[in-house]
Amino acid sequence: MISVSNLSYAFKIGKKDKENVVPVLHDVHLHVAKGEIVAIVGRSGSGKSTLLNLISGFIRPEIGEITIGGTKVSGLTESKWAEFRLNHLGFIFQSFQLIPSMTAYENVEFPLVLKGVNEKDRKEKTLEMLKRVGLEPYQNHYPGELSGGQQQRVSIARALVLNPPLILADEPTGSLDSENERELLNFIKELNEDYGITFLMITHDHEVASIAHRKVEIVDGYLKEGRMLHEVQR
Amino acid sequence: MKFKDKHRFVRSNMKKNRTRVWMTILASTIGCAFLIMLASVGFAIHKTAIDDVMSYRMMNEIQIQKENSMLEENDVKKLEQIKGVKAVTRKKYTPANQLSIDEYNTYADVKSAHMPSEEKAGFELEKGRLPQSKNEIVIGYHFAENLRKDAPKNFLEGLSEEEAQKKMKELSYKGDLLNKTITYHMKTDNQNVKVDEQAKTLEVKIVGIGKKPTKEWAMDNYVFITEDLYKEVFSILGEQDPELEAAENNYSEVNVYTASADEVKAVSEKIEKLDYLTYSVVSELKELNIYFTLFKAGLIFIGAIAVLIASIGIFNTMTMAVTERSQDIGIMKAIGATPKTIKRIFLLESGYIGLWGVGLGTILAYVISYGVNFALPIIIEQFINEKPPEDFILSYIPWSLTVISVTICMGVTLLSGWRPAAKATTVDVLKALRRDV
Repeated sequence: MISVSNLSYAFKIGKKDKENVVPVLHDVHLHVAKGEIVAIVGRSGSGKSTLLNLISGFIRPEIGEITIGGTKVSGLTESKWAEFRLNHLGFIFQSFQLIPSMTAYENVEFPLVLKGVNEKDRKEKTLEMLKRVGLEPYQNHYPGELSGGQQQRVSIARALVLNPPLILADEPTGSLDSENERELLNFIKELNEDYGITFLMITHDHEVASIAHRKVEIVDGYLKEGRMLHEVQR
Repeated sequence: MKFKDKHRFVRSNMKKNRTRVWMTILASTIGCAFLIMLASVGFAIHKTAIDDVMSYRMMNEIQIQKENSMLEENDVKKLEQIKGVKAVTRKKYTPANQLSIDEYNTYADVKSAHMPSEEKAGFELEKGRLPQSKNEIVIGYHFAENLRKDAPKNFLEGLSEEEAQKKMKELSYKGDLLNKTITYHMKTDNQNVKVDEQAKTLEVKIVGIGKKPTKEWAMDNYVFITEDLYKEVFSILGEQDPELEAAENNYSEVNVYTASADEVKAVSEKIEKLDYLTYSVVSELKELNIYFTLFKAGLIFIGAIAVLIASIGIFNTMTMAVTERSQDIGIMKAIGATPKTIKRIFLLESGYIGLWGVGLGTILAYVISYGVNFALPIIIEQFINEKPPEDFILSYIPWSLTVISVTICMGVTLLSGWRPAAKATTVDVLKALRRDV
């Protein structure tokens, strides 16, 4: 599903002629198979978020290549990247990233609006997703009127509404209490098992990493060899 | 993203900042109304000037003159040969100008006219017909008003000019002159020639009365006689003033008429090639139009400054909207909104502000224009105690001005919204997601 090869990245800080180059990732190679749940773990500043941002297309790699679902995405233009994200990727963020001026319904509906789906189908799919995450009664609530767990479920519903084959999650349980965390992880497992959705998650939480088939560790920008789920569990 | 969804999205965003958006719309409205109103003054003056020129003369009329000499019959023949010429009317000044009926008497502007040409040229009558025999004549619309009894002594004493004019009307002929026979006095108007009081007279019949002039203040006191009658008049007057003989064949007025106003230019050029001098409304309007086009362009330019000032408001509003919604933009981009979609959303928003401003501004301009034109004559009459010129308008908004103004306003609006919209596309997703913008 995801193939990352020879990926290196460095942040450039400061003015153009006096910029400091801070290397973050070094020659990263990563392969994620279809239907896998992969957890990327590492300490703060190790480069795991940068790796996810590169795979998401939020930042562009200067060295290396990223391929998702057979499409070489590392060379896409900004518009093409946006289209690719809309059609192939779902996102779950630590701080939910819901649009505060939109209701739960509108937030979930938004990817369908961007895709140009007709109103009738949009309504059907949006309500179906809200029902699936158990938030149908809260559809007219604004994010500010929902709890953290409920907001994260809205965010998941939004990520799933276009049935993407791959979901990228950045600390998905970072803002949740333990009960909501458990609930979310069960839901991720269910989605993976029932629908074969591939998950690439960034986390430093062992509980989260425990549901992954494979754990990949980044240390100071270098990717350590991944271990299989049973090894992680052991 | 479908247009309908963009529209819904933009509308909901505009509703959230209702006050700010309406203030910006108000600024655009005032800017647009100011532009239209200012330019409408130029358009009104232009229209008044054109109406004024056209009220005197017909659009398809070309006045002909010859340098250093008078026009004669052979000139008329030449002009009639020119392609595109519908009619050549010619008039000869007749030096006997006194006419009377009973105790009523007048001195009119008597001219001979070639009646078939006049008919062809479209001479308009209020009633009656054009002369068909020698002693038939056509009189101007105000001929009867000028046909007066002799005023008694001190008749107008102590009266103001206006009162005197009213009083003089009491002396005017009151009846209908059509088909009446009146006396034409064969006395030359050359004051150097002494004419016997018992000068010869001719009886002439009024068969037509000319159409009322378009201007209320215009006085038509002409008398058109036939060319045959002219010859007889000249032979009689020639006995009183032998010098007249030399002028007998001279036309004092020759006009060429084309079938339509569009042909005037081409026919004028042909006539000029034959060494005649021409003058037409079209040529006068051409000069007038150049002058007024520059004048109007100047006014539109000044008015556009107001629109530019209003556009600063739109720029500010849109820049604030982009800044406020940076996080939302970031999320939208992260989910999959393309830069083009984001740009279009913001352009649509500034477009709506402009559209509302332009729409309301245009309506406001029409209302003000109507109000000014309605109230100005009343105000002038109240405060200056003078009537404004007839048909005078201070503001005139033709559809072309509306189109020009709407184009300028919408253009400026879209330009002012362009930069904030472009800025929206450059919002950094990561910074936005980190609430760092």
